[in-house]
Amino acid sequence: MANQVRKYGFVIDPKRCIDCRACLVACRAENNVPLDHTRIWVYDQGVQGQFPNLSQQFVPYNCMHCDEPPCVEACPSQATYKRPEDGIVAIDQEACIGCGLCIDACPYHARYLNPTTGKADKCNACIQRTQQGEAPACVATCVGGARMFGDLNDPSSDVFKALREAKTSKRLKAIGSDTGPNIYYINDTVDEQSLAITESIMPAADEFYKKFVIPAVIAAAGATFLGQAVAFAKQLSKGESEFEE
Amino acid sequence: MTTEVLSLAERKRLRKTKIRKHGLANIVTHWFNVFSWFLLLLTGLGILGNPDLKIMPQGYIDFMRNLFGSIGGLVETHKVFGLIWLFVITYNVLLGLRKYFVPFAKKRMLLTHDDIQWLKLYGQKLLGRKVTLPPQDAYNAGQKIYGYIVILGTVLIGTTGLIMTFGYLLPADMRWLLQWSRPIHFGAVGMVVAGLVIHVYMAAFFPEEKSAFFSMFTGEVDALYARLHHKKWYDEKLVEERDYEMRVRLEEIEAKEESMAELRE
Repeated sequence: MANQVRKYGFVIDPKRCIDCRACLVACRAENNVPLDHTRIWVYDQGVQGQFPNLSQQFVPYNCMHCDEPPCVEACPSQATYKRPEDGIVAIDQEACIGCGLCIDACPYHARYLNPTTGKADKCNACIQRTQQGEAPACVATCVGGARMFGDLNDPSSDVFKALREAKTSKRLKAIGSDTGPNIYYINDTVDEQSLAITESIMPAADEFYKKFVIPAVIAAAGATFLGQAVAFAKQLSKGESEFEE
Repeated sequence: MTTEVLSLAERKRLRKTKIRKHGLANIVTHWFNVFSWFLLLLTGLGILGNPDLKIMPQGYIDFMRNLFGSIGGLVETHKVFGLIWLFVITYNVLLGLRKYFVPFAKKRMLLTHDDIQWLKLYGQKLLGRKVTLPPQDAYNAGQKIYGYIVILGTVLIGTTGLIMTFGYLLPADMRWLLQWSRPIHFGAVGMVVAGLVIHVYMAAFFPEEKSAFFSMFTGEVDALYARLHHKKWYDEKLVEERDYEMRVRLEEIEAKEESMAELRE
């Protein structure tokens, strides 16, 4: 968004991640995430290189808070929305009907269906904390400082400085579309292939709705409305007779 | 409309004669349905804010959301209105099932040969040709067909509405049900609304159906309207009236004979 003052995003330095998963625990505690599910992940990319020069890379991962989020486009009730004030993609739990379209639409698979509420859930950058000026739980708890969060538009923010000083920076592109993800991976190469990033999926029901049902309904209701409008105009121009209906 | 030559005096007399068409239960259910549809359409259209699904302008959607506090408030309100509507309609149908609906479905709803003929000729009438429409029962073929649409629509809207209201309770691999419910819900509403446009125009503005409109308040239509538009039903009513009259007369005679017999004793 052009006139957006703040643009919150993550900067992640995978080299600093030791796969302790304290961020997952912190997130679960902060956001009441049910067991067997998580809002954030740490992907293990396996051992790389030739002995004896081996390295292992871990990729902290969560919602990208995209500039053009496909989940927001998919949501029928606009329960999922991009906050205009800071760009965080959040879910209005009361408006969500749990249809799961956003879960299919997200090419990053950053959403899950919460079995306790029956509704979609995902990283909301801990808005309850960030609105108070605190860092999200995962960032605050990160021992190695791999996760950073802040206003990408503010030159004095941690993320801005980290990005400016980074040797390399990379955003993970979705297949088939550029959604403008707002996680920057710095100082390391991240192998996108291993992260199960896919295309944004539109289920057949949704395609049927948008391509067939809406035009059909508009055509049918429009036709009868026009027909009746013509009939009414004719009736008025004809005038009323006194003795016959 | 059957073409009949009627004198002005006859027209005036028939216009003043009233025939009962709708019971109170029918009238109350109708207006409850109107009220519910009005609220449900207004709130439903406010929910559809997604640019791909949007019917109303953004200003309307913002207005509805502000009115109900938030999008969540609007969705919840729509669900509550919907549940009340569904409960009352289902309750009324079950309550009147044996007394009203089964006889109605058997007697008034089936399409007869005259109905098919009426449909063919009405199409030509719309194209501007002068035609003589065959006599119709209490409801004409157009009304019968719209009746089917409304019943089918109500069943579809109710079922898909329930699925979407309580769909969050479904297991994760059943969410396709929720996803398919949306187009069916919208399509069924669209189907009913397309006919509703005709229904409302006919009732509110069409001069020939004026009597039918007022019958939704008083329960009565005038005899002229019945004779011109629903000849079969009108004749049926005349027979009913005659039968009643004869029964009353017979009872009268019987009572007289009894009193005479008593006197003789």
